Amino acid sequence: MNEAENLSPHGQHLLGRRSFLSNNATALSSIALSSLLGSDNALAASGKPKIDPKNPFAPRQSHHEAKAKNVVVIFCAGAVSQLETWDYKPELIKQDGKPLAGGPAVTFQGPAGNLARPQYAFRQRGQTGKWVSDMIPHLAELTDDFAFVHSLTSESNTHGPAENFLSTGFAQDGFPSVGAWLSYALGSENSDLPAFVSLLDPRGIPQASVNNWGAGFLPAEFQGTSFNAKNPIRHLTPPATISKTSDQAASSFLQRMNARHLEKNPQDGNLAARIASYELAARMQLSVPEISDLSSEPDHILKLYGADDESNPTKAGYAKNCILARRLLEKGVRFVQLFNGAYASGGRLNWDGHSKLKEQYDGHAEIMDQPTAALIKDLKQRGLLEDTLVVWCTEFGRMPMFQKGAQGRDHNPDGFTCWMTGAGVKPGVSHGRTDDLGRKAIEDVHPLYDFNATILHLLGIDHERLTYFHNGIERRLTNVEGHVIKEILA
Amino acid sequence: MRVTQVRWTVDGGIPNSVCCITLETLIFRDVMRRLSIFCSLILLNTLEAAPVDFVKEVRPIFESHCYDCHGEDKQKSGLRLDVKSAALTGGDNHSPDIVPGKAGASPLIQFLTTEIKDERMPPKGERLSAAEIDTLTRWVNEGANWPDGIDLVTLEDTSDHWSFKPLTVQPGDHSIDSLIDAKLRESGLSRSPEADRRTWLRRVTFDLIGLPPTPEEIASFQKDASPNAYAKVVDHLLASPRYGERWAQHWLDVVRYADTHGFEVNTERAYAWPYRDYVIKAFNANTPWDQFIREQIAGDAFGKAEATGFLVTAAALLPGQIGKDAESKRLARQDELGEIVINTGEAFLGLSIGCARCHNHKFDPIPARDYYSMQAFFAGVRYGDRPVENPEVDAIVAGIQKHLQPLDRELGTYVIPAGGDVSRASVSAKANIEKLQPIKATGIRFTIKATISDNLREPFIDELEVLNANGINVALDATVIAKGSKKEMINDGVYGNESCWRSDAKGGGVVQLAFASPETIQQINWGRDRTGKYPDRLASDYLIEAEVAPGKWQQVSDSSNRAAFDPKLAREALYQLPDLQPAHHARARELIAARAPFIKELAQYGGGKQIVFAVQSILPEPMHLLNRGDPEQPKGEVEPASLSFLKPVALPKDSADLDRRKALAEWIVDPENPLTARVVVNRIWQWHFGTGLVATANDFGNLGVEPSHPELLDWLAAKFIESGWSVKDLHRRIVLSATYRQGHTIHAAGLEKDADSRLLWRFPARRIESEVIRDSILAVSGQLDLKMYGRGYSMFNSRGGTGGFKPIESHQKPEGRRRMIYAYKVRMEQEAVFGAFDCPDAGQSAPTRGQSTTPIQALNLFNSQFTVDLAAEFAKRIESETSDKVEEQIKRVWAIALGREPTPIEVTEVTTFVSTEGLPALCRVIFNSSEFLFLP
Repeated sequence: MNEAENLSPHGQHLLGRRSFLSNNATALSSIALSSLLGSDNALAASGKPKIDPKNPFAPRQSHHEAKAKNVVVIFCAGAVSQLETWDYKPELIKQDGKPLAGGPAVTFQGPAGNLARPQYAFRQRGQTGKWVSDMIPHLAELTDDFAFVHSLTSESNTHGPAENFLSTGFAQDGFPSVGAWLSYALGSENSDLPAFVSLLDPRGIPQASVNNWGAGFLPAEFQGTSFNAKNPIRHLTPPATISKTSDQAASSFLQRMNARHLEKNPQDGNLAARIASYELAARMQLSVPEISDLSSEPDHILKLYGADDESNPTKAGYAKNCILARRLLEKGVRFVQLFNGAYASGGRLNWDGHSKLKEQYDGHAEIMDQPTAALIKDLKQRGLLEDTLVVWCTEFGRMPMFQKGAQGRDHNPDGFTCWMTGAGVKPGVSHGRTDDLGRKAIEDVHPLYDFNATILHLLGIDHERLTYFHNGIERRLTNVEGHVIKEILA
Repeated sequence: MRVTQVRWTVDGGIPNSVCCITLETLIFRDVMRRLSIFCSLILLNTLEAAPVDFVKEVRPIFESHCYDCHGEDKQKSGLRLDVKSAALTGGDNHSPDIVPGKAGASPLIQFLTTEIKDERMPPKGERLSAAEIDTLTRWVNEGANWPDGIDLVTLEDTSDHWSFKPLTVQPGDHSIDSLIDAKLRESGLSRSPEADRRTWLRRVTFDLIGLPPTPEEIASFQKDASPNAYAKVVDHLLASPRYGERWAQHWLDVVRYADTHGFEVNTERAYAWPYRDYVIKAFNANTPWDQFIREQIAGDAFGKAEATGFLVTAAALLPGQIGKDAESKRLARQDELGEIVINTGEAFLGLSIGCARCHNHKFDPIPARDYYSMQAFFAGVRYGDRPVENPEVDAIVAGIQKHLQPLDRELGTYVIPAGGDVSRASVSAKANIEKLQPIKATGIRFTIKATISDNLREPFIDELEVLNANGINVALDATVIAKGSKKEMINDGVYGNESCWRSDAKGGGVVQLAFASPETIQQINWGRDRTGKYPDRLASDYLIEAEVAPGKWQQVSDSSNRAAFDPKLAREALYQLPDLQPAHHARARELIAARAPFIKELAQYGGGKQIVFAVQSILPEPMHLLNRGDPEQPKGEVEPASLSFLKPVALPKDSADLDRRKALAEWIVDPENPLTARVVVNRIWQWHFGTGLVATANDFGNLGVEPSHPELLDWLAAKFIESGWSVKDLHRRIVLSATYRQGHTIHAAGLEKDADSRLLWRFPARRIESEVIRDSILAVSGQLDLKMYGRGYSMFNSRGGTGGFKPIESHQKPEGRRRMIYAYKVRMEQEAVFGAFDCPDAGQSAPTRGQSTTPIQALNLFNSQFTVDLAAEFAKRIESETSDKVEEQIKRVWAIALGREPTPIEVTEVTTFVSTEGLPALCRVIFNSSEFLFLP
């Protein structure tokens, strides 16, 4: 695609080919040159993407052939217990009520109690016979297609830093999120929508909040745009006091003024980029409400996701976000982050089951299970799963013991489960293992770096070559770590 | 001492200041254990063999098995085996990997021989043969003899780097222009013609004070024919208090200043702002840069404790967010100290010292030991609130107290007595009054027998005040006797959870005050958190006694006549109706109402003193070198010492906290330190021109970019030191130079050779920053409130907590029209309209700001309520200043917002637009126009 097409006629005229073809110097000119020549192969050549300031979301080539074009990450905030879901531990049933020999006396939140059996029954599912709990019956049906990693570890046992670590590869605040890295690397296939969208849970924001979709020190345009089926993008439209016609008149007058200013300062790429940004904004004003409007979805789809469930508005809200996720992926949005669970609330609004795990998980599972499963089924039936990587993740796991005097489990960063399915993922794999009680990962141990490296790999990116220089260091998503988990690749 | 350090380049990845501990280390211990037997068997077999020749026998083995991962191209785990110095130093994880004379203790041999498949080297390909292992084992046991001068590769000396060498100033007369022109000539370019006066004035005004010039300022400058017209403008701008507000923001970006603690809870850091104010004042006062550094590191030695807010600007976990286990606590302390080292290194020295926390720095000559020695300078630093001496605040507080005292005295007479028959209010976490029968005493004793919430937690008491007959708080001078922690904070005059006594017993505790001299006491005030944020840990059953003779205690109050605890009845402050006799409620209401505004004002000062979130000085803890940065693997203790490759300074291990920090500050500001002046001069240059002479302002190390004009950088740095580290002198030198005064027009020749204008053939025009946009819109609309200093105004519905930060229309509140530097800065949360304009998030240091252009910026600036409201205000201003002639109005809009006359075509077009859409619509367009938003 010729980038100049994204410019207004003024911009195209003033930023014409000839002036740029005569340049061979640094940064802006060479970027413009390469994009104008259509040789947008910069990422493959140097490892780093080159960003055309007037079209930062232009699609860019990956390092190697990508198995997946788009990603949806289902982010379960609050730390879902591996022991109640995917990591079947018959030994824990046997040792229910006994103390953990050699276990810690004090864990994150306080004194440790005795071992506690999984709070749900497990049974074998599908062709692979994977043991999955009854907590998540809809997802359990699909596990033949999943690749589980049961041996993940986190650097932090505190929610905020651990969510940072999951989303950015660093426990500290202020690093770019995986979605930002991907839109920085690959741009977008859709010029009318943001490349990276974060869909917030109807119950609220996750604990690490904007860190999960922030750009960190990457250029600001690569941060996620957060909205959901209920709350649209802020400032998408002017206040109601301004009529549509008046708004359009102002908009075209502004473009005229800016174009004239560009004429006076010919060849200034930043000024051309401003014109282009207002044009994209105008396109978003049309495309975002259209994509967020679920009224065109047929009843059977609403029913499949549970979006019609009037008895459970939170579930219906999350289900609508799932439908929205599918719609965004259909339109070529590169990275969709779908949150399930909100902030710290004693486990009320997210998966942080410290004290009343079973009681709270009954509710959380009801919200998460059917809509998430429906999203996967729907992507599959539309053929979208061939290009889309689906990731289900959580910041860490939970202890095999209950906390002293409580009916819930404390934080456990030493061994937990996440899974992937869809494009490029080997179906029906269970990789890695925790010990017999699910306390620690002991076989094929993978820090979350490896999980993130694998996501990048499936998108055609070498996690060691996708870098950005900041404060003296070529930063990457995986710090100085990370190995692609080959065992779960198709 | 100069240490020659190996230059490593890393396999694909690049080192990092926040690297992490892997399981590898743990596995290694296991390997050692299992291997010891195996290795000793090998030793027996090899005693009789001839000496091993490194070049003929050892290196070929390395070449065929090891160099793929540990050679010139890759150095996995930081280990390379092709260069003697590097090989004998060892890698990141197990150094030294080769222990001469001890094969059994050498990880090199162990990793070759282990039977554990996952750990064996090489990980892929063929194992070494028994003969090869035997050769290597013998070689190590014979002393690992590696002749000098035979390596096929030479290493770069990482300390041989331009920025680590002394400043060099070539003889002769220099100026910015002569040095810029020289480089331009080399490229066949030349400076652009001088910009017109209007353009320069707009540029320099935005640049120095962050606001556009007024039409009057433009007119007066254009009329000024005096030879020093330009210099007068600059003097005027630098003397404006607006200057400090503008330039402080640059520094706050670097130090990642915020008003919240960060991380998941992101609670309010209520007294961060005195540091922000300190920075504004320091710029306005032209505090010499060396002194600015001294104050920020050790300001408590100079009566400027608020300046040490610098050391604690990072995000920090609160006690409740840190795990209860000892390991979590040790890690949190290391993280806290790590942030201080990182900040100090980046901000003042332009070095990423933090990279050496887990391993020797991969690119700069900073071994891990230096990281921990640097950390030892801060071993006595704790993050927290502290009171500071501030005569201004003392005067304000005294003024407030003067108004309060008569009101309090009268209210005091209506308080229901303690311990009598008349029932009084339940205890409140915020404030409780004990009205006593006046009694002469030498001390009091407060015994807690139970707390609310069933004694589950240890009680806290925040500020125990004992008033004598004159209403003076005699507790302030009393000696405190108590178990538990922070007992000195029970009578420090500072309110808040961070500053209270904490009992060590669940549901109970005793605290005793011994007065300086006997006093007749009549009232006691106490609470659990006088700022009202924490309602827990509150004593509900208690007893207060007075010491009437040595060892003789008499009960003066208890909780017996208090109503049952009801959290809903929590009082907002002292002297509320539930405390007072119902017969006097009518009068009390008047007094309480009169009291309220003073209480609100006083709250800013934490109960009567200026508080600042800064350094709490403690007895320095022993500091250890940590293996791979792991607090669970301490090695030898380290002394405070500066970086070893620069002229180092070291102190004994038992040095006091302040001595440590003062010594570090003096080392940094030593004129012979090659980095300090270069780093600051470069920052200031960058803030004027958009790009520094060194483009990587926080990194002057080997990974940083070489300076575009090394001679100019050194000359400026030398002049800067000569001027007494005067920042304002440097501004003058820069903005009055012809280089700065040139036009910004782009031309083909310049684009071809130097598109970014690094060589400065044109002034690099650029978009103004988020704060400048907001401030300027308010200013041109006549709405900018110039009130300086103090607690920030809010741009969100919350000042902290997990529920998120919902944006509010801050401009609709009066205080929200102040400059944006006075906005309450929420870490990691973007302000809803202007945050998208590359506003740093205070997560990591932001030495430069992005210059992104995004559709979200367009939507925010075009559609926000802020823009629409201020456009209406601007239109109102225009209407009030002009007749109703549209052309006159347009001219005024252009003069105020763009600083020029509209062209005839513009007048025609705009007239048509305004006649159909109205003046506010035009103002909305102007706020979005590139011309308004660009530094010309």
